[in-house]
Amino acid sequence: MSGRRRGDVWLSVAGAAGVILAWEAVARSGAVSPAVFPPPSVALGGSLHRLSPGELGQHVGASLLRIGWGFGIGAGLGVVLGIALGWYRWLAALVGPLVELVRPIPPLAWIPMAIVWFGLGEPSKVFVIFLGAFFPVFTNAYKGMTSIDPVLLRAAQTMGLAGPRLLFQVAIPAAMPDLATGIRVGWGLSFAVVIAAELIAADRGMGFMIMRAREFGDVGVIVFGILLIGTTNLVTDYAIGGVIRRRLGRWHPI
Amino acid sequence: MARSGPTSPDRGAARRPPGWLGPGVLAAAVVAWEGAARAGWLVPFYFPAPSRLADTLRELLVVGFPQGVGMGTHIGVTLGRIAQGYALAIALAIPAGLLIGWVPALDRLALPVVTFCRSVATLSLLPLAIAWFGVGELSKVLLIAYACFWVVLANVVAGVKYVDPLLVRAARSLDTGPAGIFLRVALPAALPRAFAGMRVALGVGFMTIVGVEMVGTIQGLGALILEARTFFRSDVTLVGMAVIGLCGLALSTLLERLERLLLPWHRGLESVRR
Repeated sequence: MSGRRRGDVWLSVAGAAGVILAWEAVARSGAVSPAVFPPPSVALGGSLHRLSPGELGQHVGASLLRIGWGFGIGAGLGVVLGIALGWYRWLAALVGPLVELVRPIPPLAWIPMAIVWFGLGEPSKVFVIFLGAFFPVFTNAYKGMTSIDPVLLRAAQTMGLAGPRLLFQVAIPAAMPDLATGIRVGWGLSFAVVIAAELIAADRGMGFMIMRAREFGDVGVIVFGILLIGTTNLVTDYAIGGVIRRRLGRWHPI
Repeated sequence: MARSGPTSPDRGAARRPPGWLGPGVLAAAVVAWEGAARAGWLVPFYFPAPSRLADTLRELLVVGFPQGVGMGTHIGVTLGRIAQGYALAIALAIPAGLLIGWVPALDRLALPVVTFCRSVATLSLLPLAIAWFGVGELSKVLLIAYACFWVVLANVVAGVKYVDPLLVRAARSLDTGPAGIFLRVALPAALPRAFAGMRVALGVGFMTIVGVEMVGTIQGLGALILEARTFFRSDVTLVGMAVIGLCGLALSTLLERLERLLLPWHRGLESVRR
């Protein structure tokens, strides 16, 4: 089994290396101008030459800080509201329709109104990311709370659990896998949203970095920025997945 | 929000909230909004009154914004872009997904590339698409296609890959050849998953188009809401947002119905990969 698994890893490495090498070869063949389609080595080298580590760190940091705020508030509120609406029917009947009314509007469609309400600064971006994180987390938390196996709840009630203890010791742990799904989807969406918001109006951040590179016609920096955004997303998503797996145990498929 | 499962079972049916409560709250919110706007408590630019928004909707339908570009045009242009990109994505992702899902070595080979490409935020490709293909229609359609492609691909691959091995073995013991197994066992078994992926992909495409249209065009719903802001017409922006939400809702409802019609034996697949 381990031999086969090692073979799998080598195949994956070969796949990634093959794509990068093919890209390099096509770009160097001279069929397309390198200014339009730069080889990866040139895009990477040129960008690292042009952007100082400090500047680069500032762009990555700005994007992550915005996501941190927006996702933190959105996911936090999504968890609390999802659990509360899933547990108290009258609250769901009261607030549910309002949430359902706003939910079909994609987060990016809020960008113009966010600028109207909060100006061009940080709060407007944080607000749009907040929306991107809130809805997936809320929807999944609510779904998790309303689809708990009723036998589980009745068994706990038979043993004398009621009220807050039933909620915190039985219901919320039972809804955890759905909560985890919501958090990962919400993180991915937050990432997509911050880049879009930075393309439209920002003075730093990874989205701003590539939009400015476009104005200078610097395709190398654009390509580098795209790879940087993908890598940052992949690494942070993997880290969140790791934390969730450690807390929930390996048996919960997420 | 379908209320299927039980909420806390200690709350009996007698205390179930009445059905008029939700719509009642909405109506009350609209009335309060209108009242606050008329009383002058709300700045009209930030929160235009509902009656004003109704006038704006009429204006958008008759005169259009910018003048001459009616609401129908905006909706048509946006839906047209989505349809093109979505069709392209499906045409490419289904054959590719079937192949990758059916050949394990290919799956391993493609894994890192697929994983990475899915992590790339579609809109981060916008500057590159503009540099390569200009600000015209091609860039927009290709970006929608990119956003939809990976979602469909991932679900087709998973659908084929996780076909119940018992089904495959049963077919094999009935002397079905590899082509027969693929066509008559794997393909139908993978269909529900593939369809679920296509449904999610449409939502992803719809989300993406709004961002894509905010650059380099005056037609389309995304362009409408951003353009309105630069003319200080927040009322147009809000009406545009409502129309976007309604279009998205209509599309997803349509696909859900279609799914139920085409795959009546398979309802409500939960595990969709994004």
